[in-house]
Amino acid sequence: MALLTGLLWPMERLNDALLAIGRALALTALMIMVAFIVYQILMRLFFDAPNWTEEGARFLMLWMTGLIAPLAYRQGGFVAIDMLERALPRVLAATLGLVLLLAAMVVIWTCASLGWDNVNSFTGRGSSASLRLPLDWFGGERMKFKNSWSFASLFVGFCLLFLVNLELILRQIIALFGGADHLKPLEDAGPID
Amino acid sequence: MLIWFLPVFLFLLMIGLPVVFGLLLAPGALLVLDGSERDLAILYRNLYNGIDSFPLMALPFFMLAGEIMNRGGITIRLVEFSQAIMGHLRGGLAQVNILSSILFAGLSGSAVADTSALGSTLIPAMEKNGYTRRFAAAITAASSVIGPIIPPSGIMIIYAYVMGESVAALFLAGIVPGILVGVGLMVMVRVMADRYDLPPAERVVIANQSISGVEYWTSLVLIRATFGFFLFRIIGGVAGMFGDGANQTVNLALYAACVVSVDLLLRQYRRAVSKDFRLTCKKAVAPLLTPVIILGGILGGFMTPTEASVIAVVYALFVSFFVLGSMKVSDLSGLFARSALASSAVLLLVGAAVSFKTVVALSGAPQILAEFILSLSENPLILLLLINLLLFVVGMFLDAGPAIIILGPILGPIFVDLGVHPVHFAIIMSVNLTVGLATPPMGLVLFVAASVSREKVETISKAILPFLAVEVVVIFLITYFPAISMTIPRLTGFVQ
Repeated sequence: MALLTGLLWPMERLNDALLAIGRALALTALMIMVAFIVYQILMRLFFDAPNWTEEGARFLMLWMTGLIAPLAYRQGGFVAIDMLERALPRVLAATLGLVLLLAAMVVIWTCASLGWDNVNSFTGRGSSASLRLPLDWFGGERMKFKNSWSFASLFVGFCLLFLVNLELILRQIIALFGGADHLKPLEDAGPID
Repeated sequence: MLIWFLPVFLFLLMIGLPVVFGLLLAPGALLVLDGSERDLAILYRNLYNGIDSFPLMALPFFMLAGEIMNRGGITIRLVEFSQAIMGHLRGGLAQVNILSSILFAGLSGSAVADTSALGSTLIPAMEKNGYTRRFAAAITAASSVIGPIIPPSGIMIIYAYVMGESVAALFLAGIVPGILVGVGLMVMVRVMADRYDLPPAERVVIANQSISGVEYWTSLVLIRATFGFFLFRIIGGVAGMFGDGANQTVNLALYAACVVSVDLLLRQYRRAVSKDFRLTCKKAVAPLLTPVIILGGILGGFMTPTEASVIAVVYALFVSFFVLGSMKVSDLSGLFARSALASSAVLLLVGAAVSFKTVVALSGAPQILAEFILSLSENPLILLLLINLLLFVVGMFLDAGPAIIILGPILGPIFVDLGVHPVHFAIIMSVNLTVGLATPPMGLVLFVAASVSREKVETISKAILPFLAVEVVVIFLITYFPAISMTIPRLTGFVQ
C-alpha cells in the first residue's frame, strides 16, 4: 500500500501541474476564439470578411479540447452509466472499475499512437491554405501554418488523458485494497475554482 | 462481423464505460478482429475531423453565454419579472417557476443549468410561501426540460451537426413545442391548485425597486428600438418595401416613425401600471433581448448560428459589465474555464460520434434494423409510438446529448425513409430525450433538483409524476401533429 501511495503522489503532482497549464491555455484559447469571430463579423459588416478567422478559431477549438478535456475526465466529467458499478458490492465494483479503466487505456493508447502517426503523416507536413503566422509584424517573414500544428492538438490531448488514466488506475488499485479513504477526492483536486 | 459493433457498444455502455470511449472501442475492436486494422486510422481521422468544425463552435459559445448570464444576476431579474406577470394566478409561484423556465430557455440551452439556476432561487421562495419542498423541486425539474427545447439548444446544435441538418431550422422548430410544454405544465398546476389547495396567490411586485441610470436608459432605448424594428418589418413586409429597389431613405424614415409610435404606445401603458411594476419589467429587458438577438440574427440572414452565439457572448458580457455592473474582470477566467471544460467533454463526444457514424454506415446495421423495425409494423404512426417509448427509456438512463449522438445516425435514416421529415424527427428525438432527463429513476435533472433542494430523489420522483404525464401528452401531440414543429420553419423558409 505504501508503495502504491508513494507511486500515486508524484503522479498527482504531475497531473496537477500539467492540467493547470492546460486549463490556462484552454481558457485563453476560448477568449481568442471569441475575439476572432467578433473580428470576422465586424470586418464583414464594414469591409471584407477575412479568410483566416474561421480556420484560426477551429485551430484554437481543437487545442482547447485537447488541453482541457483531460481535466474534465479527471473530474469525472465524461458521461457514463454507473448504475451497475453502484449496485455491486465494494470489491466487485472496484474490480469492474479497474477493468473499465484498462479498457479506456486501450482506447487512449491506440488514439495517441494514431495521433502521432497523423502528426507525422503526409497531410501533416502540408500547409494551411489561409492561416499564416504574422511574423512580418516583427520584421520577419509571414510563415505558413503546418497542418501538423493542428493535428498535434488531439495527440497532446490523448497523451494527457493517458497520464490522467494512469493516475485513475493507481487510485482504483488503492481503492481495491481498501485504501479509498486515503485518496483525496478528485472533484476538487487539481486546478479548478 | 462488423454488425456486432452495436451489441458490443451497448454492453460496454451498460457496464459503465464512458460513452466517448465506448463509441471508439466497439467499432475499433471489431475492425481489428476483422483484420482491417488499417481502417483504425480512418476512425481516428473522423474523430479529429468531427471536432474540427465551424458550426459546432456554437456549442462552447452558447455554453459560455449561458454561464455569463447566470453569473451576471440575470436569473433573479427573470424571476422577479415572472412574478410580476404571473404571480397573481392560482398556483402563483409554481406558475412563476414555469414562466421563468420558458424565459430562461431563451438564454440557455441546457436543462441542468436551468434547474440549478432557477431552483436555488425559487425552491426556497416557494417553501417560504407554503408549498411543500418536494412539490417545488418537482415543478422546477419538470419545467427545466423546456431549456433545451426552446432555442438556443445544445442538443439541437449537436444533432444538426451530426446529421447534417440546418441548426436554424431546428431552432425554429423547437419554439412552439417548448412553449407547449410550458403551457401544459401551467394547466396542470392550475388543476392541482384546486385539488390540493395550493397556497393562495398574490401579484408579487418587489417594492421600492431601484435601477441604475445606465440600465434605465439602455433598457429604454433597447425596448423601443426592438419593438420599433418588429413594427417596421411588419409594415414594410406588408407594403413590399424590402425588394431590390428598396429606397434606404424611405425605409429609415419608416423605422424612425415606428420607433416613435412604439414610444407613444409605451407612454400610454406607463400610466396604467405602478412604478415598481414598470421598473421590474425594465430590468428584465436587457436579458430578455438575448433570444431576440440570436434568432433575429440567424433569421435575418446577418449571421450564421455560430456567429450569433458569439454575439450572444458579447451581449451577455456587455450587459453584465456595463448595464448591470454585476461582474468583475476577475470573474472572467473562471467563467471561460468552466465553459471550456464542459464543452471539451461534449466536443470529444461529438468527434467520437462522427467516427462511430462511419462504422454504422459501413456495417449495414441501419438496413438490418430498418428491416426489423418494419417487420414490427409498416404503419409509421405505430412505429413512431414505439420510438417514443424507446427514446423515453433511453432518456431515463443517458443524458440527452450522448443519447442523440448515438441514436440519431441509427434511427434518423429509417424514419426519413418512411416519410417523416428530418426536422420533425429531430424535434421528436430532442423533446423525447429531454423529457427523459426528468424521468425517474436516473433522470439527471432529478439529481440536480435533489441537490439544490436537499430533498430525496425518490420523493421528487413521486411528486413529478403528474407533470411527466403532461409532458408525455405533449410528446404525442408533437409526434402526431408535425405542424406543431414544422409551421414556423416552413413560414420562414428554412424548410421546404
